[in-house]
Amino acid sequence: MEHTEIIIRDNGTLTERIIRERDLSAEADVLEAMTADVTRTIRNAMPIPGWGLAHANVGLSDTIWSVPIDRIPLKARFRVINGVLVPMFASMTDLEMPMVWQAPKDVRLVFVVRTEVSEGCVVVGGNWLFACNKDNNGFRLPLPNLHDECTLCTGQFESSYASAQAGVSASLEQFNQSKWNSDLMTTVAESQKFFRFRPTNETFTTLSIEATDWTTLCAKVSTAILDRAIL
Amino acid sequence: MKKITVQYGVDSITKQVESGFTFGDLQDSDSIKAALGFGDNTKALVEGIEQDRRTVIPDGATVRLETAANTKA
Repeated sequence: MEHTEIIIRDNGTLTERIIRERDLSAEADVLEAMTADVTRTIRNAMPIPGWGLAHANVGLSDTIWSVPIDRIPLKARFRVINGVLVPMFASMTDLEMPMVWQAPKDVRLVFVVRTEVSEGCVVVGGNWLFACNKDNNGFRLPLPNLHDECTLCTGQFESSYASAQAGVSASLEQFNQSKWNSDLMTTVAESQKFFRFRPTNETFTTLSIEATDWTTLCAKVSTAILDRAIL
Repeated sequence: MKKITVQYGVDSITKQVESGFTFGDLQDSDSIKAALGFGDNTKALVEGIEQDRRTVIPDGATVRLETAANTKA
């Protein structure tokens, strides 16, 4: 479509302006490039048996799955100090115990899994564990086996699955079964203030965190993965 | 002097800095570390692109700091 305008300029000059319009057929790769960073959020996308519901943040090339969790399985070595059971991650002699730490309400935990589809399989591209406060700031828990940006060091792990649900479930099962050792450990002092248990009858009760503000025992984190996590 | 905005997590600050202030200066700044709570292991991004530590931050830029990955001990 084309149309012509005649413009009278301030100095009295007459100017002809020809405007031509045509629709452009945007190619798929152009559209994909323009929307590369666009993601969509789907809450309660699928159930994960034993853990709850997973939320999805769907991108062009991957999906970030977020599973809010209320506990951390701590298969590690422990020692009783002043009547309180605390982790001794670097110890080779203390008793190894399969403890489960129950998170208090103000520590909002999210287990995150990134998946991609490749050759018809869902491939797990990493696991992360974040703790968030009420202001939605993310923190790295005082745990070993956790990189600075909260990637979990999971050890040997099958990465290809038939479905996203199988991949996320397998990641959580690996998290549930893994032993926590001293890899990536900085100091155990914060861990022992954070993860505390008291023997009660034949079981153990999670004790409150030994700090008025739990975030002081953690490192604040900011990552692109955390930005896409859903709590 | 120039004005820059720094984001870390959901927090951000706007600050006046010297004209030659680089991304490395920002990542090493104890006062900005204290204000935003980041540590020694960060990377600086502008509009999603990672920046070299030696590059001078442009006036008016919004810099996003992210926690960088560390290697296995």
